[in-house]
Parts: sequence; structure tokens; C-alpha cells
Amino acid sequence: MAALELLSAEGFRPDGRRPAELRKLRARMGVFAQPDGSAYIEQGNTKALAVVYGPHEMRGPRSKALPDRALVNCQYSMATFSTGERKRRPHGDRKSSEMSLHLKQTFEAAILTELFPRSQIDIYVQILQADGGNYCACVNAATLAVIDAGIPLRDYVCASSAGLVEDAALADLSYLEEAAGGPQAALALLPTSGQMALLQLDSRLHEDRLGAVLEAAGGACRAVHAVLDRVVREHVRELTALLGD
Amino acid sequence: MATAFKTVEPLEYYRRFLKENCRPDGRELGEFRATTVNIGSITTADGSALVKLGNTTVICGVKAEVAAPAVDSANKGYIVPNVELPSLCSTRFRSGPPGEEAQAASQFIADVIENSQIIAKEDLCIANGKLAWVLYCDIICLDYDGNILDASVFALLAALKNVQLPSVTINEETGLSEVNLKQKNPLVIRKHPVATSFAIFDDTLLIVDPTAEEEDLATGTVTVVTDEEDRLCSVHKPGGSPLTGAKLQDCITRAITRHKEVKKLIDKVTKSIKPN
Repeated sequence: MAALELLSAEGFRPDGRRPAELRKLRARMGVFAQPDGSAYIEQGNTKALAVVYGPHEMRGPRSKALPDRALVNCQYSMATFSTGERKRRPHGDRKSSEMSLHLKQTFEAAILTELFPRSQIDIYVQILQADGGNYCACVNAATLAVIDAGIPLRDYVCASSAGLVEDAALADLSYLEEAAGGPQAALALLPTSGQMALLQLDSRLHEDRLGAVLEAAGGACRAVHAVLDRVVREHVRELTALLGD
Repeated sequence: MATAFKTVEPLEYYRRFLKENCRPDGRELGEFRATTVNIGSITTADGSALVKLGNTTVICGVKAEVAAPAVDSANKGYIVPNVELPSLCSTRFRSGPPGEEAQAASQFIADVIENSQIIAKEDLCIANGKLAWVLYCDIICLDYDGNILDASVFALLAALKNVQLPSVTINEETGLSEVNLKQKNPLVIRKHPVATSFAIFDDTLLIVDPTAEEEDLATGTVTVVTDEEDRLCSVHKPGGSPLTGAKLQDCITRAITRHKEVKKLIDKVTKSIKPN
């Protein structure tokens, strides 16, 4: 059996996208009443939910409070029914812990934590349906949720993955493309300043190719930024219309 | 002024409303919150449903797996419900192992499945003594605003109605199972249990579909589960203030009325997604 062709001779990917094309991105802010901020995002078939509580007083041991800035607490979990095979542990396994840590590091770089010393900000993300780019969907959803909570950010944090197939850089990988095992990177970018909040490259890649992969991921992040910005502006417009009544 | 009064004297605040036969959110005492259901939105699950009861949001995903049936019930499959109340849904829940409320809810759902015979477990058997379906029904609360039991039972029922199982045959010669993913069959839902919850205020007053705030202030709660033949599947009253038989009868009558509304809603939604 021939291996799955990730990029056809005509330059199309298995789902019919061009190399630099993103999957359909849909998002909504303020989906829940209980938390301070919430957002739901769909990137192709990946569906994620982010909820933000805070900034609030420290919960748990007060000794953990930081004297000069807020503590960012992230928790990533995947619904048991989100993957093809049923997941036995929705959170607390190594991969989820790693993902939680990455989210925490990403948002510590973006939130103006020094404005809230000795307090805590909780970011919870839940994957409802997984189809590649889980980390990226979580970052994008969490950004919207943090904005919905009214917590000041340096900039939007936009994330996208990129991979390399036969010298061509592909943006926003689906599960099928991720599972093929080629080199891939996840990038979280602060688009206005062009600064990277997080870059993770797990597989071997020649340094000459890194530029192409980063460029593809960066381009995708900026495209995500355009969509997120539109969602935020629309949401604010709706809110002000409601207030105006 | 009103918010200050509410913060200082929440119970008295509520009593003032209840005296006028209404509630702070504008409902009457016997009125349910707006209920919506969305079926089949999670494609990785074999069946799924999202239920909103006012602000309370619950999602149920059903995953089917095959396993060997238990020795003492060779012709039966398994249904494994699990209710999750993650810290995401409310500040009152901590992350970590499931808390008391989540465990109690899981057990309640398990009892409802058992008592109502929503699905005959024999229907889940593929080959007697060899192979049977296991249905993992994971219910996750996404936004907690009270009355989690009603929402969970509703989401479970809607998700089970959405389940499509591939047909499995056992090859006589090799003894191996063959799965035909092209031919999918819906589950046979034998009964439609619907839960209706009440909060008891000051030992006498009954209000339906309590919010989280109302649950906290109430002196007790009652949950009644009925099926479409108006038979009781479960009456759950975890302690709290005592209730007279007449009041309980009142609850049951209201639960039967509620069942008809919910059944109508679920039929409407399943019909609307069928043509695709």
C-alpha cells in the first residue's frame, strides 16, 4: 500500500487545502455566564473551550502567591470522547500536564501579570473534539477568554502549527498530517510586535529549513489574528448595542 | 441597594421574592428555565448531545467499545455513566479527583439507567458470552448553575438517541469479529426517562428547576424521574427538610407534565437532524 500522499502533485493537501491555507476558523466569546471570561473555538474539526476565572485572591496555599505579579494557573483537559479511541484519563496524564505547562508559559509571557500582584488567574481549557492542533486551538480560545475577562494583554496570542512535507511548509496541520510523523512545530506569536511567546519543535529538522517552517507558522498566526480580532470587535459591538438599549 | 441587601441577607432577599410568587430571575415558582438541546455536534463520539438549562450547560458524549461480557450475565452489555464536574464549570469545584457531588451524580445516573431500563442490556450483546458493547457515557458540566441532575439525564437520553453503532458479526470459521462500518444501526431506546428537580424553601415552599443560588439557600431538594408511561423510575430526596405525602404527589404530577414538554422538545430536535 502506498503511503498517504500529504501533498499532491497539484499542490493540494488531503483535505483539499493549499499548503499555506488554514482550516475554517470559527469562534465565539462570552459563551458562559458563570466564569469571568469564556470562549469557544472551532478550527476545522478541532473544538475547544476556554474559561477564565480571575484575577482573584489566591486559592490554596497563600505562600504560593507572587509578591510582584499574578500567578497564572492553567489546566488542560481533553474530553474522553474527543478522540477516535476513548481517552481513559481526561487530564493529569503526562501529555496533559505538559500542555498545561506550555499554556501557562505562553500566557505568562502575554498577560500583564505585574498589574495584579499577589493574585491568581485561572485558565481552564477543554478539548471537546480533537483533530490536530490542540495546543493552538487552546491558545487561541484562551486568548479570547482572557480578553472576555477584561484582563490586560500585551497583545493577542495567536498560535498555529506548521510542518514540512517534501520541502513544502504546511500551515495548520490536521490530525492526519500530524500523525504522519514529519517535522512539525507549534508557534505562539504576539502578532503586532512579531515576538514569539512559545515555539516548540519536537522532531529533527535541518536548520536551513527552520526559516520556511517558521514563516508558514507565522503567516498562519497572523491570519488567525485577523479572525480573532474580528471576533472580538464583533463581540464588543454586540455588547455596546445591548448597553445602548 | 438591592445587590447589597442580597449580599448581606441572601435568604431574606429570596423570601421577599417568593412571597410575591416570583423569583429574582423573573420566573414564577413553577416555571422552568429555557431549555435547548443540540444533538450530534461531536463527531468523534458515537453519540453526543449538548443541553442548556438556562445557564447550566452539560455535554454528553457516548463512546462505544467492544468487550467480553461478564460471566454471570453472558447475554448483556455494559453501560458506564460518568459525571464530571471540572473546575472549569464553577469556582466551587477544585481540580483533582471527582468530588462528592460528581460521584453522587454519577451514581444517580447509573441508578436511573438501571431502574428505567432506558436500554435493554441484552440489546448490547453481539455474541452470547463472547462479545458485547460497552457504552461509556461521559457527561461533562461546562457551566454550573444548579439542577445538574435534570440536565444530565436529558443530555444522556439525547446522546443515546443519537448513537449509531456499526454492525459486528463473528466469523464462524476464524472466530474473529468483523466490523462493518458502512452499516450503522441506531440504538433501541426502550424508555425515555426525564428528571425534574425541585428545591424546598423554608420546609414548605416548592420551586422547580433551582439555580445554583437557590440550591444553596434551599432546605432540601427532590428529584423525580418518570418515563413516558408516567411510571416512576426514581425519586431522589437526599435528606433536608421533611416533605408531606401530598407535596410529593404534587411533585410527581408536575414531573409528568414536564416529561411531556421534554419529550416534545427531544422529538422535534431528533426529527430536524434526521433528513441529513
